[in-house]
Amino acid sequence: MTQKEIHNQRLVKEAETRLLHHYTRRHFIKESAMGLGALALGSLLTGCGNTQKPIVDNYFDPANPLAPRPPMFPGKAKSVIYIHMAGAPSQLELFSYKPELAKLDGQDCPPSLLEGKKFAFIRGVPKMLGPQAAFRQHGQSGLWLSDNLPHLATVADEIAMLNAVTTDQFNHAPAQLLMHSGSARQGRPSMGAWVTYGLGTENKNLPGFVVLTSGGNNPDAGKSVWGSGFLPSVYQGVQCRGEGDPVLFIKDPQGMNRDIRKASIDAINKVNHAQYEEYKDPEILSRIAQYEMAYKMQISVPEVMNINDEPAYIHEMYGTKPGEARFANNILLARKLVEKGVRFVQLFDWGWDAHGDSADNAVDVGLINKCRSVDKPITALLLDLKQRGLLDETLVVWGAEFGRTPMLENRDGKKMPFKGRDHHGEGFSMWMAGGGIKGGTTYGETDEIGYSIVNGKTEAFDIQATILNQLGFDHEKFTYESQGRPFRLTDVGGKVIHDILS
Amino acid sequence: MKLRLPKKFLLIASLILVIAFITLAIYPKQTIDFNAEVKPIFNKKCIACHGGVKQQAGFSLLFREEALKKTESGKYAIVPGKPGQSEMIRRITEKDPEERMPYKHEPLSDKEIAILKRWIKQGAKWGQHWAYAPVQEEKVPSKKNEWIKNNIDQFVYQKLQQEKLNPAAEADKATLLRRVSLDLTGLPPDSASAQIFLSDNSPTAYEKLVDNLLATKSYGERWTSLWLDLARYADTKGYESDQGRSIWKYRDWLIKAFNADKPYNDFLIEQLAGDLMPGADDDKYIATAFHRNSMTNDEGGTDNEEFRTIAVVDRVNTTWSALMGTTFNCVQCHSHPYDPFKHEEYYKFMAFFNNTRDEDTEMDYPLLRQYTGKDSVRFAELMSWLNKNVAQQQAKENYHFLKTWQPVVNSLKCDEFTNGAQTGWLTELRNYGTCRLKNVSLNNSTQFMFRFVSIHNGGQLEVYVDSLQTKPYCVVPVWETSKGWSVATATIAPIPGVHNLYLKYVNSKIKPDHLNGVLMEWFRFSQPFPGKDKPGYAVAKNLFDSLLYAKPETTPVMVENGADMFRTTNIFERGNWMVKGDAVTADVPHIMNPMPATAPKNRLGLALWMTDKKNPLTARTMVNRLWEQLFGNGLAETLEDLGTQGMPPTHRELLDYLSWKFMNEYKWSIKQLLKEMVLSATYRQSSVTNEELIKKDPNNIFYARGPRVRLTGEQLRDQGLAISQLLSSKMYGQSVMPFQPDNIWRSPYNAATWQLSKGEDQYRRALYTYWKRTAPYPSMITFDGASREVCATRRIRTNTPLQALTTLNDSAFLIMARSFAIRMQQLGGSDVKNQIAKGYEAMLYKPATAVKLNALIELYNQSLTTYKNDATAAKEMAGEKEKPVLPETAAMMVVANALFNLDEWLNKN
Repeated sequence: MTQKEIHNQRLVKEAETRLLHHYTRRHFIKESAMGLGALALGSLLTGCGNTQKPIVDNYFDPANPLAPRPPMFPGKAKSVIYIHMAGAPSQLELFSYKPELAKLDGQDCPPSLLEGKKFAFIRGVPKMLGPQAAFRQHGQSGLWLSDNLPHLATVADEIAMLNAVTTDQFNHAPAQLLMHSGSARQGRPSMGAWVTYGLGTENKNLPGFVVLTSGGNNPDAGKSVWGSGFLPSVYQGVQCRGEGDPVLFIKDPQGMNRDIRKASIDAINKVNHAQYEEYKDPEILSRIAQYEMAYKMQISVPEVMNINDEPAYIHEMYGTKPGEARFANNILLARKLVEKGVRFVQLFDWGWDAHGDSADNAVDVGLINKCRSVDKPITALLLDLKQRGLLDETLVVWGAEFGRTPMLENRDGKKMPFKGRDHHGEGFSMWMAGGGIKGGTTYGETDEIGYSIVNGKTEAFDIQATILNQLGFDHEKFTYESQGRPFRLTDVGGKVIHDILS
Repeated sequence: MKLRLPKKFLLIASLILVIAFITLAIYPKQTIDFNAEVKPIFNKKCIACHGGVKQQAGFSLLFREEALKKTESGKYAIVPGKPGQSEMIRRITEKDPEERMPYKHEPLSDKEIAILKRWIKQGAKWGQHWAYAPVQEEKVPSKKNEWIKNNIDQFVYQKLQQEKLNPAAEADKATLLRRVSLDLTGLPPDSASAQIFLSDNSPTAYEKLVDNLLATKSYGERWTSLWLDLARYADTKGYESDQGRSIWKYRDWLIKAFNADKPYNDFLIEQLAGDLMPGADDDKYIATAFHRNSMTNDEGGTDNEEFRTIAVVDRVNTTWSALMGTTFNCVQCHSHPYDPFKHEEYYKFMAFFNNTRDEDTEMDYPLLRQYTGKDSVRFAELMSWLNKNVAQQQAKENYHFLKTWQPVVNSLKCDEFTNGAQTGWLTELRNYGTCRLKNVSLNNSTQFMFRFVSIHNGGQLEVYVDSLQTKPYCVVPVWETSKGWSVATATIAPIPGVHNLYLKYVNSKIKPDHLNGVLMEWFRFSQPFPGKDKPGYAVAKNLFDSLLYAKPETTPVMVENGADMFRTTNIFERGNWMVKGDAVTADVPHIMNPMPATAPKNRLGLALWMTDKKNPLTARTMVNRLWEQLFGNGLAETLEDLGTQGMPPTHRELLDYLSWKFMNEYKWSIKQLLKEMVLSATYRQSSVTNEELIKKDPNNIFYARGPRVRLTGEQLRDQGLAISQLLSSKMYGQSVMPFQPDNIWRSPYNAATWQLSKGEDQYRRALYTYWKRTAPYPSMITFDGASREVCATRRIRTNTPLQALTTLNDSAFLIMARSFAIRMQQLGGSDVKNQIAKGYEAMLYKPATAVKLNALIELYNQSLTTYKNDATAAKEMAGEKEKPVLPETAAMMVVANALFNLDEWLNKN
């Protein structure tokens, strides 16, 4: 089948889904309601028994948009912790063992690798750069890992490694957007927003989708990577912060104690109730509920965001330091959040863009320091989730927006002061653990220098399809109607990576 | 004679009668309505396989000419007039499931089959979807009911009757006053005008109020707020580092245009093509910033042509979704599966936008340069000299160049570097470094000019034509630019035709491999400054040169490519900009009205076409949008899609009635249209409802009650500032930075920080708030604002705890509550109960009921007890560092904070 035919076939499939749903634009509700014996959805549907077309067309109730909802089918995972290394670490110094590349170190890159290729910064003919780390096999599965990740090596058998991930975007912002929203352009909902839209939140007193950033900068694509796109804004990620208010505006004003706040919310709700008696607008009742929930969140959010009271062994295990903005603290918070029923925790750690333009950005200096800052906490997370019996129902994803070239970067054709690698979209590594993932597996393979994919090509859409699958969603049927057509996270692509599922 | 009929005959006769009856029932006399009866069957059952995306078996139902063609099997699916010979009819009635259509789906019902048969019998005529048919003058129903106030009510009442609903009585004056003020000006009425209205019992009191509101300056600010979402206005460029962009003059232009009630057709023409209008002045250019609000990508290593293309695509999509209520995006990749737009029509339409000078440069060129201070005097002097002394064309060219720096060739067009590189939007050449500048037209050019910076004296730029192996065409000195950008000029000999130029930087005074040589921004090939033989030449030339170094205020605008820079537009195969298909020329979709005979095939012509009264979408889209702003929902709910996949309008005749009137009677006056809407009884109804009505019409699409809608984030801020008397009345100008929590901005490679505005700029209306795309102002986003990376045609309202936390705890709102508490104390005298009562009344223009008042007094008393025992807390609550604060004041602030969170305050009722 030609590309065009495949493409058409996908479009037709979408169009057919569209056709099936023509009668009601609330198709998703109906589907879920039929598939799962209605559950809580019954009340949503009662309004559309009449002949007029319902005015709200999608699967959400504006009066209670975060009500918990069942997935399409029982999923293995209840929540997701997605760890994104913004800037894109080199797979060749972490996961992708390429002894042949070492032999080519310092030689001119063969023209066959450069023909018809575009790079972000490499110009002319660069030199090849051998791996700048030693590799060893670990665990019963014999997973190859570099010595940059000594802690992760101890949990190698929990991990399913994807060694042939690929993307067609080689600039940070578009590549991050593609990874998280299924489109390299702004305007689509992020994965966490989709999940919150589909599942609601189990803990009423906490947001359903939390974002934590470290490394001093937001990710390159800005807040769009946790944005809600065309979904209602209520589904966007809520950024929790290590300094200042953990969630914006969560703290009462100075000089207002909890009793006064309680009294004031009581007064507001009393007046609103009188207003309801007069107007009978159900939206007023919903507002009353939101104020009650806000009051509870004011207690539960600072509580969950406070790591001071964690026992010493936990701090030791994660390498956390309360009061500091650091990655380890965010990882511990991620565990606390999923433990409390948060659906989707998205972590971004900035500063992995090792071009070789400074020591901090060198694959043999800065990269090693970055690895030190994440290796222990990430390992602790897997161990801690496991000891709490949460790993089975928590899907942990580690990745970045792309990988890096086996060539030494020569920005604008010049020699760089340090060893670095340019952006490379083909054959980078990501891994998943927990949440129904088969540990100790490796999927996908690149050629002997880590430049091209040999088998097991994995696209952003496949990762997204797999994550949705683990949560109980068929990524092809999980749609939202916008601009006159149904949209899905995986656009017109995506296949679940069954090889890594348990 | 007794008539006897045999039984057999009777039986046959009655059988015939029954058949005739059935036939009649199935084939009613009247003509089948393609849109209402046939198209829905096609969309629902056929088009997934036989439409734009896929034409299974060579059969497509999208266009008539396609549907009547011979299919792959050699048969005709549809033979007009002959259902019996039409393969389609045979297949939908086939018994064999392998043969029967729709394949592997439910068969069509007898009724559907009958409709299709009848339709073919009648000639298989295609019809137009309502939204693509021209707007006709609608006949107004003549219902008689005293509730009816104007023609809008006629349509609404007719529908209410059909739905067996009754309209509601008019809202009380106080509620109506606040509703219409917020709707028309985005602000609550000030107490003076409120007093006038509330005490005016004449029948024209309300109309007078409306006229006054429409005449306020705040009116323009309120409607600009809406337009900023459509224009995806922001103060930053978007993408990775999301650097600042100075484009606020466009916002000022909008405010002035709305306030002047600029007719909507002119309003659009100027925004789409102001630069192409005859005698375009600064204002017309600034209007075109509408489409310069698309994003610019400064991320290192990005392909500028890719992001230029994305910006052009964004302009096409925005034009359609914001201004013509059509989702055109689909057509980017394939013919529209449901609406009659063809794949190539997207690119024909794109061709209108594909020839502007912007090329994703970091500087956002082209910029309109508005000289200030002494420079503006110099510019005026120069222009007056030029107009007196040189040919009109020469004066014009120099004006255009100094105003826009066009036409120039951006240095990012350079390639084939040796010892040099593209650094951002600049071309960098090191010593002896070379690059190529492709396809330059040197016809008639006798002067070469370029803008550069360098840290070395003694360098030179050598220019070669077609090959570096020839003698230099010209040599231009390059000096150390200690004060920033310089412009170098050299005389050249004209060469006919288009050539590749090679540039080489040479400096014998520095080492051969020295890292920095020259950084160049743009190149200009032109005539030298004219009028050499005229008196005053030297002075004028000096003025010209000094203006090259001026630092004017700048705004990104549209400038069209000259003939020698013309870009050919190609179809992108499956929407992929890298895979170019056939070349196309600018045109509008065939389904729509044709271009007016006098309209040129450029952006100006396009704008004239869009605002032609025959254009079926422009007026409807705007009318629908204005209605949505007042009533909470559009007459067609999907503002962004009036096509066959959008929600059908609840009151199509009303939409058309208003659209017709908007164009023909109101001559595109938005104010007059809004006036008719708010004067209607429909709008003036009380929004009080009951359980039965909620059940019958939960979303109020039949208008048996007035609108009750939560205010936007912008309105909430403005209303709070107004009532607490903090609101600055200052209009226009650069964006401001009111209070925002720390650490919201964290863009990589961007050191910019939020610099709190001083003085009254802290309390400006929300639309002046600095808008950073990747980190927008938090409270407005929480209240469903759009990040404005792309056009947002509609905000979907939600109701969340984070919204509650914002109005409860955001310092911006707290400051308002403090100020309002002081005002309450002033209004109410010494009696606390009176203070609270007066405060409530000031906010909502009517007294609080006893239940409400008591709840608030109770809150006051409880707070007072606390603050009497805790002087520090009282000080903190008032935000006071030094002076002691009366516990009574702190307690009233708690009450004010609560008042700002009442449902009736957050909503228009």
